[in-house]
Amino acid sequence: MARRHIETAALLAPAVITLAVLFIVPLARLFSLAFTDPGGPFATFTLLAESQVYRRVMVNTFLVAIAVTAISAILAWPLAYVLSRLKGIWFAVALYGVLFPFWISVLVRTFSWMLLLERNGPVNRLFMGLGLTDNPLPLLFNDTGVMIGMIHILLPYMILPLYGAMVRVDPRLLQASDGLGASLFQTFRRIYFPLCLPGLIGGATFVFLLSLGFFITPALLGGANAITLSMLIASFVTDRLAWSLAAAGSLALLAMVFIILGLTARLLPVDKGIFAR
Amino acid sequence: MSRLPLSLRIISNACASLVLAFLVLPILAVIPASFNAASFIHLPPHAYSGVWYQRFLDDGEWRSSLMNSVEVGLLATVIAVVLGTLAALGLRRIEGRLRGIVTGLFLAPLIVPVIVTAVAIYRSAIDVQLNGTILGMSLSHVVLALPFVVINVGIALRAVSESWLRAAAGLGAGPWKIFRTITLPNILPGIVGGAIFSFITSFDEVVIAVFMAGYGNKTLPVKMWESVRLEFTPVIAVAATVMIALALLLFVAAERASRAGRGQPS
Repeated sequence: MARRHIETAALLAPAVITLAVLFIVPLARLFSLAFTDPGGPFATFTLLAESQVYRRVMVNTFLVAIAVTAISAILAWPLAYVLSRLKGIWFAVALYGVLFPFWISVLVRTFSWMLLLERNGPVNRLFMGLGLTDNPLPLLFNDTGVMIGMIHILLPYMILPLYGAMVRVDPRLLQASDGLGASLFQTFRRIYFPLCLPGLIGGATFVFLLSLGFFITPALLGGANAITLSMLIASFVTDRLAWSLAAAGSLALLAMVFIILGLTARLLPVDKGIFAR
Repeated sequence: MSRLPLSLRIISNACASLVLAFLVLPILAVIPASFNAASFIHLPPHAYSGVWYQRFLDDGEWRSSLMNSVEVGLLATVIAVVLGTLAALGLRRIEGRLRGIVTGLFLAPLIVPVIVTAVAIYRSAIDVQLNGTILGMSLSHVVLALPFVVINVGIALRAVSESWLRAAAGLGAGPWKIFRTITLPNILPGIVGGAIFSFITSFDEVVIAVFMAGYGNKTLPVKMWESVRLEFTPVIAVAATVMIALALLLFVAAERASRAGRGQPS
């Protein structure tokens, strides 16, 4: 048996050591920098919490993440529902439609939105052509642009867990509710919605966590007008060489992620959602 | 709900179609933009031409960034596939808490925000002077690619029954022969799938690469990221179209690999 243990350890060791050296140790070293400020071990955190600018960035990051999560849930619901009902070729078409964006670089998708949301871009021309607005709307370099881009990228993370929950709902339960005289709305509120709730919470958690850490999309679609925590961390490193502040910001961001994961972990369909790229 | 009234069914189908269109169509906007004849981006272009493709190929910096991306992607893929396949084989042999902890370690890079990973790896890379090198970028991408290999191979391994391995051992086959003749052929689709995931993960990765690339050895996404912020010419749309084309190619390849995997007896 001992020989078997040695073999198992030998199989796992290369990957575990590689991850430790390339990932765990660098993270630990970065976080330790947060406590090395000349002003005292917690000076960086105090500075982040007390500065009005940084506080506004963090609040903005949170608000954008909440809005993106809510809108994604609303948009995902009908598509996930229809997906759970479709069969055959139409199911394949719709599913590939949801999975296809996963394969396209976030940078490419964000760049596409820069072209579409421009002042004289197709979206504004469409709105003006339909008579919805007389002047081009400011859709780019503000929170609106950031949210459109982020929703586009994160929507599949909401659709897939929601679809997973919907497809598992036993249709006989709904028939029974119907047969017992419940109205359509009652059946939805008391049977269908509660059964879909784990999927909704799972999807919302993925979308919210990923929104908090987004960098490329807010940096390009929001620019200087919609700064997020990850943009702040990046600018601490590249513009100001303020490593202790970057470390404190990183630690704060990671702490938020773990708190939210801890709160929703039990409801997460982990092996289904995360690995759908 | 099993029988939504017709009006609600029409509404939900219409909403779903619109959302599907929102997911897919915007991605394609860069393709016409890349065939623009003018020197500025306008959608749809007033006149079409392949002039920016010529510019992309003639420009040494764009060309070398594409080569760097391929190089970094291939190196990261080879390392991730070897380490990840071994790890998946090992993971199957442990149980309980330990398995949970090791799996958690492999998944952690997917959960930690990429900006945090990027800053941490960059900082350590400076100390050992791996920043700005192909090797440094490949190693940083291994961190992100490894989970996909472990998962893909792990799923393929489920189809390999322990009793086959015991039968082979009982018939006198050594561990290496068992691996080569039974395990490997069965998990090959998973390995191929993991390799494709690894390559596209590395090829599309931009956050870590932006920090790691520095002034030399930019990858295609890094060059694109810089151009978007500084120049904004249609050549960026060409780079984006190249990335979409490659992603589509790999998507089809991955589909074939997973189909081959499903064809295996289980």
